Amino acid sequence: MSTWRQKAITRLRAWAARRHGEDALPVTIDRRRIYILPTRFGLMLAALIVAMLIAGLNYNSNLGLAFAFLMASIALVAMHHCHRNLLGLGVDVNVEADAFAGEDAAFEFTLRNASAVDRRDIEIHLVADAEALKSVGANSDERVTVTVAAARRGVMRFSQFELRTRHPFGWFRAWTYVQGSLSAFVAPQPRGDRRPSAAAAEGSVPRSEARGEEEFAGLRTYTPGVPLKHMAWKVLARGGDAAVRGYTGLAAQPEWLEWSALEGLDTEARLSQLCRWVLANEAGYRRAYGLRIPGAEISPGWGAAHRIRCLRALTLHQAEPSSPLEPRR
Amino acid sequence: MKLATASVTPVTYDQLKWLCACLALTLIAHLAALPIWLIVTVCAAAAIRLGLAARGRTAPPRGIRLCIAAVSITLLFLQYRTFNGLAAGTALLSLMAGLKLLELQSHRDFHIIILIIYFLNLAALLHSESFWLLGYLIAVSWLTSAALMRLTISTPPPAWQPSVRRAGRVLAQALPLTLILWLFFPRFDGPLWQMPQDKQGGESGLSDSMSPGDISDLAQSDDIAFRVHYIDAPPPPPQRYYRGPVLHDFDGHTWRRTHWDPTPVPPLVPMGIAYRYTLSLEPHPHNWLFALDWPTRWDLPGAVLTSDYTLVQPAPVSRPADIQAVSYSQMRTSDALNPAMRRRDTRLPPDRNPRSILLSQQLRSTHPDDMDFARAVLALFHDQPFFYTLKPPPLADDSVDEFLFESRRGFCGHYASAFAMLMRAAGIPARVVTGYQGGTFNRYADYWILRQSDAHAWDEIWIEGRGWVRIDPTSAIAPERVERGLNDALVADGPLAGRWQRHSPWIADLRLRLDALGQQWRRSILQFDQKSQDNLLVMLYISEPDGHKLVMVLAVGLTLALLWLTWQVRREMRPPVKDPLVRAYARLCRKMANIGVPRRLHEGAEDYAERVAGLRPDLAAELTVLCRHYTELRYGTSKAELAFISGVRAFRPRTR
Repeated sequence: MSTWRQKAITRLRAWAARRHGEDALPVTIDRRRIYILPTRFGLMLAALIVAMLIAGLNYNSNLGLAFAFLMASIALVAMHHCHRNLLGLGVDVNVEADAFAGEDAAFEFTLRNASAVDRRDIEIHLVADAEALKSVGANSDERVTVTVAAARRGVMRFSQFELRTRHPFGWFRAWTYVQGSLSAFVAPQPRGDRRPSAAAAEGSVPRSEARGEEEFAGLRTYTPGVPLKHMAWKVLARGGDAAVRGYTGLAAQPEWLEWSALEGLDTEARLSQLCRWVLANEAGYRRAYGLRIPGAEISPGWGAAHRIRCLRALTLHQAEPSSPLEPRR
Repeated sequence: MKLATASVTPVTYDQLKWLCACLALTLIAHLAALPIWLIVTVCAAAAIRLGLAARGRTAPPRGIRLCIAAVSITLLFLQYRTFNGLAAGTALLSLMAGLKLLELQSHRDFHIIILIIYFLNLAALLHSESFWLLGYLIAVSWLTSAALMRLTISTPPPAWQPSVRRAGRVLAQALPLTLILWLFFPRFDGPLWQMPQDKQGGESGLSDSMSPGDISDLAQSDDIAFRVHYIDAPPPPPQRYYRGPVLHDFDGHTWRRTHWDPTPVPPLVPMGIAYRYTLSLEPHPHNWLFALDWPTRWDLPGAVLTSDYTLVQPAPVSRPADIQAVSYSQMRTSDALNPAMRRRDTRLPPDRNPRSILLSQQLRSTHPDDMDFARAVLALFHDQPFFYTLKPPPLADDSVDEFLFESRRGFCGHYASAFAMLMRAAGIPARVVTGYQGGTFNRYADYWILRQSDAHAWDEIWIEGRGWVRIDPTSAIAPERVERGLNDALVADGPLAGRWQRHSPWIADLRLRLDALGQQWRRSILQFDQKSQDNLLVMLYISEPDGHKLVMVLAVGLTLALLWLTWQVRREMRPPVKDPLVRAYARLCRKMANIGVPRRLHEGAEDYAERVAGLRPDLAAELTVLCRHYTELRYGTSKAELAFISGVRAFRPRTR
């Protein structure tokens, strides 16, 4: 049964994708894209209402009938409320997320409720195990993080995500598909204990010992992730903006992180080692570094953007076209 | 992140508390019908489960649960001998809810209990049809839905009010739909299939036998037997005899109804005044109906007249029944008495009540005429020191002897029994008729209430040439009983327990009012049927109503109701609209700002207009009028709101 159901869902998702086409985020959920079906509990309730009707008719009881009709009407109203819980909901999401293999990629969703009623229990469903639940009050926004387990290096692409709700009584499930391309760039797991290549061997001495050779070269503005020992605390104490001491040598001797320096390792191990070097260089905040791998060369630099470029290059290296993850309920 | 699916999420203590409360409220409606041990079991299950949950523990072990389930279900079966039918089904469902509570672990169990609660609410309405109960059960269902909503919300708000309010809104929006479904859903005449009939309805009432003291016991009860509405004038008090079972077989102590009655129904020739009336009978455990003497026409299918003119139907009166009937104040049977009937109605146990038989024979020797003889017996009751009392002493086997010669204190049953026995001893066919006599008039809704306390017994004797003649020996000893009712006849007994209310006029009045409302409820709601639906369609200008038209009206009504619902549900979502006046003023200020003369934040409308008049004399006239309008509308009492709004719309200032 579950395979039958999965097939049906897969087909429905594909059909919804064809029907609605690519969505431009942010999306406001309109009536045409909300689907609604009774849950198992809802079907049980339907059977109960039929039993109530039969009992009312059989005992010729007008009050019994009235109660059965009341339950049926409540179910109908609940269906409208369930549908309304999604209707007009605004959704936005950061379409790119970064992660290292073995960790979680986090997508930041924003749910916007511009209506005058609370929306309770909106479930965001990316794939199985990547779900989140949130209630959004009237006239307010809520941020929701959905995390996806990133097992392997590469790019995880999601062409679609789903918003669901069972509010108010769990008798109905309303859902909608949003065709938004989400990508999780999963960098290699930083691993390996090789030193950087011979060409930059002099840079491989422990940083604390190398400190003496560096010359102070002015202040830079603070960016998160800088080691505390590089903070210009005096500047901060004088009431200035947070600043970081920069050193010469950075520009003078760019370090090249070379694919070719890692002979004897397989592809993933090389990428992991390179990844670790990139992180070490950034964390050390010491000197510019460049990355050279087959098919990509990134000229020396440093900083958050540079780091991302390097990591993305490692991520995308010979990355297999991402297999669409099986949607599952 | 993995969201636990609802079916396996454990239930919290708070949710459990709500569920137990809802179940308890539902069971209150069934309290009278359920066996004590069952209620105790369910309460114990709830207490154990709540106690465990409060300590953060889950359900008790499976073995224990199975044991409890097996024992209680066996007990239930021993008690009811079936699981079918309303009473047994209700008990079984209640028990299942309790057992489910004990093993409750996941939301799926919770769902099942919620559904059981809904169904138990319905079952309570099948048991009793009171207005108050309906209100109560709707309130319970409301709370149950709120509990269900709290269960579905995974991030529950700390307070319970939002859930209750929201569930209340769902309920309120469901009511119009319910009304339309209820009004126009086609009704059927009979049940879809026969359900096992539960013994239900009033337990008290006349039975098919009468021993001395039976009727006086019955007279202690204030339960209502039936109500009668006369279409024309009601009969005078001495003719308000409502006929019930007729008793023929006498064993010296107890009178009994003959169950096997082969004699054909003697033709009945009505005479005198015709009374048309509607009799609303309360349920009772027997198959006879009551009718004013003497019934000639009735509209209840299946009801027939027996040879002694009792109206009977095939099945016991398990539901309230409305009978429209016509009775005549007098009747005569043209034929001679059927020999079998004569034999039956003159038979006496030969060895019982010897002194009475002797007395009868003595009297008979001086009164050879049957009617004279009857009068002589009545005179005996009247002249000798006989007393009419609701508390007669108990009588032994030869009850008539003991009553006539020793106690001499009795209620109507004693006199009827003694009289019929004396008649039979003299060879005159006589029978005891039980039924109701008199009644209380409800002036608020024009009907008569006959309570169990109006139960009565009288006699009929056969007079050659006249047929059956009604003789009420009670009227010889206590004529007030027949004229004005029991209370006035029993002055000697003093106020009785349970009867004091009728001496307090305002309580009696309140009771009558409530009874009238109850009748209204019954006629318009409980007895709403095909005929009422036809009338409804006629009121909606639909001629010749039938089933098809009804279904069409239902479809149209439902469509309209659903459209309304959609509109209503969407309307709630719209953010509150600002006052159009404020919006128009804001637009005015925007327009002025666009031409470079914005209103300063501190400026009122009139100040603003004054300042603009200095800067732009060409706009002064128009703007002053608009601003004065606005001030008047916003702070004054002027009704020129629309003039203002359209004025703003037409106002088109240009940059110079």
